Amino acid sequence: MASMLQPQIILLKEGTDTSQGKAQLVSNINACTAVADVVRTTLGPRGMDKLIHDDKGNVTISNDGATIMKLLDIVHPAAKILVDIAKSQDSEVGDGTTTVVLLAGEFLKEAKPFVEDGVHPQNLIRSYRTACNLAIVKIKELAVSIEGKSLEEKKSLLAKCAATTLSSKLIGGEKEFFASMVVDAVIAIGSEDRLNMIGIKKVPGGNMRDSFLVNGVAFKKTFSYAGFEQQPKKFTNPRILLLNIELELKSEKENAEIRLSDPSQYQSIVDAEWNIIYDKLDKCVKSGAKVVLSRLAIGDLATQYFADRDIFCAGRVAEEDLNRVAAATGGTIQTSVNNIIDEVLGTCEVFEEKQVGNERFNIFSGCPSGRTATIVLRGGADQFIEEAERSLHDAIMIVRRALKNSTVVAGGGAIDMEISRYLRQHARTIAGKSQLFINSYAKALEVIPRQLCDNAGFDATDVLNKLRHKHALPSGEGAPYGVDINTGGIADSFANFVWEPSVVKINAINAATEAACLILSVDETVKNPKSESAQGEAAASAMGGRGRGGGFPGRGRGMRRR
Amino acid sequence: MALAFDEYGRPFIIVKEQEQKTRLRGIEAQKANISAGKAVARILRTSLGPKGMDKMLQSPDGDVTITNDGATILEQMDVDNQIAKLMVELSRSQDYEIGDGTTGVVVMAGALLEQAERLLERGIHPIRIAEGYEMASRIAVEHLDHIAQKFDFGPTNIEPLVQTCMTTLSSKIVNRCKRPLAEIAVKAVLSVADLERKDVNLDLIKVEGKVGGKLEDTELVYGITVDKDMSHPQMPKKIEDAKIAILTCPFEPPKPKTKHKVDIDTVEKFQTLRQQEQKYFDDMVQKCKDVGATLVICQWGFDDEANHLLMHRNLPAVRWVGGVELELIAIATGGRIVPRFQELTPEKLGRAGLVREKSFGTTKDKMLYIEHCANSRAVTIFIRGGNKMMIEETKRSIHDALCVARNLIRNNSIVYGGGSAEISCSIAVEAAADKYPGVEQYAIRAFADALDSVSIALAENSGLQPIETLSAVKSQQIKENNPHFGIDCNDVGTNDMREQNVFETLIGKQQQILLATQVVKMILKIDDVISPSDY
Repeated sequence: MASMLQPQIILLKEGTDTSQGKAQLVSNINACTAVADVVRTTLGPRGMDKLIHDDKGNVTISNDGATIMKLLDIVHPAAKILVDIAKSQDSEVGDGTTTVVLLAGEFLKEAKPFVEDGVHPQNLIRSYRTACNLAIVKIKELAVSIEGKSLEEKKSLLAKCAATTLSSKLIGGEKEFFASMVVDAVIAIGSEDRLNMIGIKKVPGGNMRDSFLVNGVAFKKTFSYAGFEQQPKKFTNPRILLLNIELELKSEKENAEIRLSDPSQYQSIVDAEWNIIYDKLDKCVKSGAKVVLSRLAIGDLATQYFADRDIFCAGRVAEEDLNRVAAATGGTIQTSVNNIIDEVLGTCEVFEEKQVGNERFNIFSGCPSGRTATIVLRGGADQFIEEAERSLHDAIMIVRRALKNSTVVAGGGAIDMEISRYLRQHARTIAGKSQLFINSYAKALEVIPRQLCDNAGFDATDVLNKLRHKHALPSGEGAPYGVDINTGGIADSFANFVWEPSVVKINAINAATEAACLILSVDETVKNPKSESAQGEAAASAMGGRGRGGGFPGRGRGMRRR
Repeated sequence: MALAFDEYGRPFIIVKEQEQKTRLRGIEAQKANISAGKAVARILRTSLGPKGMDKMLQSPDGDVTITNDGATILEQMDVDNQIAKLMVELSRSQDYEIGDGTTGVVVMAGALLEQAERLLERGIHPIRIAEGYEMASRIAVEHLDHIAQKFDFGPTNIEPLVQTCMTTLSSKIVNRCKRPLAEIAVKAVLSVADLERKDVNLDLIKVEGKVGGKLEDTELVYGITVDKDMSHPQMPKKIEDAKIAILTCPFEPPKPKTKHKVDIDTVEKFQTLRQQEQKYFDDMVQKCKDVGATLVICQWGFDDEANHLLMHRNLPAVRWVGGVELELIAIATGGRIVPRFQELTPEKLGRAGLVREKSFGTTKDKMLYIEHCANSRAVTIFIRGGNKMMIEETKRSIHDALCVARNLIRNNSIVYGGGSAEISCSIAVEAAADKYPGVEQYAIRAFADALDSVSIALAENSGLQPIETLSAVKSQQIKENNPHFGIDCNDVGTNDMREQNVFETLIGKQQQILLATQVVKMILKIDDVISPSDY
């Protein structure tokens, strides 16, 4: 009785929502599973796309896990972790974003019955971590190195990796075409870690086969003034001058004012101004350059001046394009036209203005340093090109990764099955609870081949049993077997060139395990009322639901402190 | 959008503003998408072919457009549905790339979607359908290569080009005088074409229109027309062997760009300033006269004083000519654009055989014709017609014809029109289908059916019995092994398209098939649509 008189201690602000305990853990797991379900169907070559339409009317059609997760605009705190791992996979290796979300979801799903049965989450976490380490060691063991091969061989091996990534995308029908394009582009930029040296330009119209790779730089024709059409549009071995100044008749200083007391001096001021610009133009011409590009405007006067002297010019070139031109042609961007020496001029084999679809493009090809590449993408619709760009980005990342780490594993769920088998085998040697947990981890890994089958409309159980059988063969010859997407059976993925760089798998398993462990270690959520206010109504209705379901007061779910 | 419930039936709030979003997934999403795509195709279906009908579209501002051009119709319809927008873009990209066949590509995509729906109902996986379509499109494109014919033409032998342009124009409202228009288009393209590089810059062809007169008065001007008149009414209306100074500087005292101020404190100073100003005008005009110019074309205006002076010195002038026109004039006359009077030299003057001002009918509208230019690389097509809508539609039709001519210069292969190419492809695809094991076979066969439906639409629009006509033509093609039989839309009496001279460009047709397949694949691949519910 006395306790009732005790004043209630208010710890948190009014309206703070806290939920705690095991039930909260289960609820978090459910939320993550729900999110994983959204991207589930995008996995693999028969994966489907999502059309996401946001409030502003922007529409994205995508198959890329990271893109979808980003656009879903998830607010659930636990589920947000999945978005983060998808993003980190995207920035780290570029591909496998769907895989990582799916794996994390599946790890959690497998953990759920244990949590409900009262296993301490930390036990689970410890076992998962062990399993993860074992899996990674195993992957490294199984990985096949492509190091030490000749460039030609390497190229075809890399193309196979790229093709595997592209097969699940919209441009999958032309995967060989794009794979070789991507490999050429990545090899062109060399080992330097400058991804921005690969430009991707999008031109609506045409079909995807019309896409092409420029060994150099290409950009859209810039805004031009009268006189532009009179300039020559094709040069061989031109010298290229890159500028970062305006070539326009303008006041030299913003706030300067000239005061004249003698009207006859008027002309001299006018002449002086003209002389400044003519002087600049003259220096450009004298440098011997045949192509003049500037990041800032090149005015009509300059355009006509250059046209008179058979020089091509383009003003307002985007900075990244100009940087790429500089890198490709070996030129240096100048901020002054004084002292232009030969060394700062770039050159290339052919410069040409060409019609691509409805646009005219300036194309520099055959550049000496060859450290840049531009992919011009064509396609029937804007969304199509956007998605193609994302897919190519994935493929480029994969090829770069494979080039650096040079080890590949068999795709098509083969590696997942093999690790799963290995872990199961290992689990049997452990005494204690951990055996069960590692076993369930192993089971969770099977989700990849299972989902591949589901998406393709095959009987997953059937295929999975065949795979398990094959992988269990004591000789170990079954290790590279994965799902055969064409016949609905199983096939040797390695022999069929379904390859993934091992780093993708390692990173995916690592990130997914981390995320799962993180979510498992949370047992209380404290939500501040302020951050909630934006969707107060939604929260209120959810709480109402909680009230109705309040048959489990002892479990502490949804306790509210006021 | 109910994303998830836990085991007690309570919803999770996972996505922001979850209740306000709708989500369609699985087969439902595919069905909804397909029906949206089909709806768009249905609208355009009746516009196909020479007997196709036009659509009248009213914009929110009340502007009325009457057109038969697929890309224009879709553009003006302002569709809201996302899938329908994809179809609009499909048509637009055909327009960008080829310029013609914008209706056909949408009808084709619609037919493919219709076939896909049937296959989906049979339980075939959408991606397998899409893959089957891709295989089929490859077969069709190869087959087109196979039946295509090379067309030889030269600057003197333009007949083949004219015939092909006529096929394009025959489906438009202007088909009444398709022959002269086709000739105009071909001549225009040939005069700007770079036959060696196979490059045609359509920017060099200006298409102008003015209400009045009749369609037959449409003409090709080897030179430029400018919708301006002489700056002074008493200047000569006709100049022969004109030497043109093309200026981008105004006839007024030059102003420094830097802020400036002239202090005038005595009467003498004012006088000098005044004199100097007058001297400027005098010098400028004199400068033009000195280099031998007989006509001045200026991008900017000039004040009355200069105008008077020009008149006085007998130097005709045109003012306020736009930058683009100025450039075209420079290209056509071989002159250089001069930014400053000091730079004027006799070499920089453009030359034109005849410059004349022409007035139309009873109106006061006047236009300046610059003809017989030194370099005829810039030409103008000048369209006359009864009303504005007619002129706009003629412009679009001419654009199509220009594109067709350009495509032929790039690649001189043609296929026969009138649905014959589609029927022939359909036969080839159908035959190839049996060679494919697996579910794709069905999709390939469906592709063949979709190809047929383009020809069916053509026959329907021409008032023929669609099924009967198609089957007759098909059997005829197979029997005589001749891919030139098509649908006799105009009731000429023969359905050999070669005799009827109905041609289409090979790249146009291939592009249609590839683009349609691509977009259909994109639509089929979507199984989840998440959108704010007020859409």
